[in-house]
Amino acid sequence: MIKVSNLSVRLSGKQVLHGVELEALAGKLTAIVGPNGSGKTTTLRAIAGEASYDGSVSINGYNIASLKPWELALKRAVLPQATVISFPFTVREIVRMGLAVGANTHPEEIDRIAQEALEAVDLAGFAGRFYQELSGGEQQRVQLARALCQIWEPVRNGEPAFLLLDEPVSSLDIRHQLTIMRLARNFCSRGGGVIAIMHDLNLTAMFADHMVMMKNGRVHAAGRPQEVMTDAVMENVFGCPMRVNATPTDAVPFVLPHTADA
Amino acid sequence: MRPSEMAAGNGDSRSRSIRMKESWRAGDRSQAARLLIGLLVILAVVTFVASIMTGAADASLGNLLRWLTGTETAEQALSLRDRIIILDIRLPRAVLGLLVGAALAVSGAVMQGLFRNPLADPGLVGVSSGASLGAVLIIVLGSNLFGPVFAVFGFYTLPIAAFFGGLGTTLLLYRIATRSGQTSVATMLLAGIALAALAGAITGVLIFVADDQQLRDLTFWGLGSLAGASWTKVLAAAPIIVLSLLVVPFLARGLNALTLGEAAAFHMGVPVQRLKNVAIVSVAAATGASVAVSGGIGFVGIVVPHVIRLVIGPDHRFLLPASALLGGTLLIFADMIARTIVPPAELPIGIITAFAGAPFFLWILLRGRSHMGL
Repeated sequence: MIKVSNLSVRLSGKQVLHGVELEALAGKLTAIVGPNGSGKTTTLRAIAGEASYDGSVSINGYNIASLKPWELALKRAVLPQATVISFPFTVREIVRMGLAVGANTHPEEIDRIAQEALEAVDLAGFAGRFYQELSGGEQQRVQLARALCQIWEPVRNGEPAFLLLDEPVSSLDIRHQLTIMRLARNFCSRGGGVIAIMHDLNLTAMFADHMVMMKNGRVHAAGRPQEVMTDAVMENVFGCPMRVNATPTDAVPFVLPHTADA
Repeated sequence: MRPSEMAAGNGDSRSRSIRMKESWRAGDRSQAARLLIGLLVILAVVTFVASIMTGAADASLGNLLRWLTGTETAEQALSLRDRIIILDIRLPRAVLGLLVGAALAVSGAVMQGLFRNPLADPGLVGVSSGASLGAVLIIVLGSNLFGPVFAVFGFYTLPIAAFFGGLGTTLLLYRIATRSGQTSVATMLLAGIALAALAGAITGVLIFVADDQQLRDLTFWGLGSLAGASWTKVLAAAPIIVLSLLVVPFLARGLNALTLGEAAAFHMGVPVQRLKNVAIVSVAAATGASVAVSGGIGFVGIVVPHVIRLVIGPDHRFLLPASALLGGTLLIFADMIARTIVPPAELPIGIITAFAGAPFFLWILLRGRSHMGL
């Protein structure tokens, strides 16, 4: 479990997070949702251990501040928003970097795992391509394959690993959005945990077990999508009145931008 | 017929698995890299021997081989004059060329990895200027101000001073050019110019107050040369260079991860701050020691790693050793040209590397500016 309590972050003097509380369970897909500038990425960066903060963040009971970078790397992997590189690495070389971490893999299995990771993000034939020559969406999926390799076993020595995804589907077409969200769900069903920053409310409602709605650096609402996605919360958080509907059979909430009063 | 063509011809599962395997190997350049490193070792040995045999004075290959293989002692195989030329002039010079070339090329490769940019180079961004300043400081003010330092460090004083000059510049440069984990190339190059100018100005003041003997010593820094090579210089530079070159392989994995950014490297378990510290210190040490014994030899650090990347890609596990080998070989080769092109005079080697390197640098710039953030 990832447990965040009373998390506050200041960026160049300005307080951007105010006592954020968050729990992400293994086996569950936790989505962080909210308008631009509401503190989603800052929260994720604090959980990843790369930003300084007040409060506490723990993974599986370990305070992340007391873990070494290579210890953290075995417990969680991170997909950043976009990665620009200035050296001509091939896709295969990038993905294999995820396997250079720690002792979680056997050397003879590196090739197999890297290939399976590429297949999982629907880039099976891309191993020999140059990263710099791929489209934004393809680059993002290469990075996801690399992150997957890092925590290839969702449960290692009885301890769940976590995928932290910063807008994993932001630059993907609809088919690959579904591919990646299913991949995240699959990671959860195999015992791992996922925290994803999401902008697409409908995909969130479809795939998330737990939804954390942020506004102005605070958690505004948290719970199952059905509980969080209400007309009142939507209007309050996003500042535009919308009608939340539900799919006929299993009552998954959805919103259409068509219903918004500007 | 290649297996991929066979697979295209029929669709049974066996040939499909062959095709899969082959397409998977497509992104793997580690075999090519190992092959290249092997070839570079041979090339380095050949160039090294050639440089010992080449020069204004004759030294026959047969005599040399008989001595090297131990069938005859040095006294039997070579005349006293040839022995002195080979053992005390050409040999230290070739060793120094190998060390300095390797140091410059590896420093370039490490800095490019650190700044995540193929244009970073100790010579271009002012690290060499800082190192020169350290050395000039010792030459001009040495006997008066730094007498006790000399007494303690002996002939290591000059490399150590150059090291601190280089270290100071590198740290300052990194501070200026890097903001929240992102290094701005434009800032780095411009700050490098400013720092080099500043170091140059201070060096100018020192030259202004220098006496005639010191001026003669100083002129050599401006151009860069292996002409003064001696075993003393080899001994002064070798420990520092070898030590920093031995540290560098341990940086390879971290530098690879750093290519994806400082945050991503940290996510992958790399202790980023420690990596940067070690990289900066070893670059400053290797550059400082090189500058102390051979002056400012430019462009080796930018040309060599770039050529290697074109052939085997940017994986630092192979890039670093391959750069060391090619850098050393190239510098010995350039030195052979330097001392044979206008006999009996010698051209400073810095002129040759600049003639070859500057156009090459422009070529890299024009070719790759789209994805260098320029």
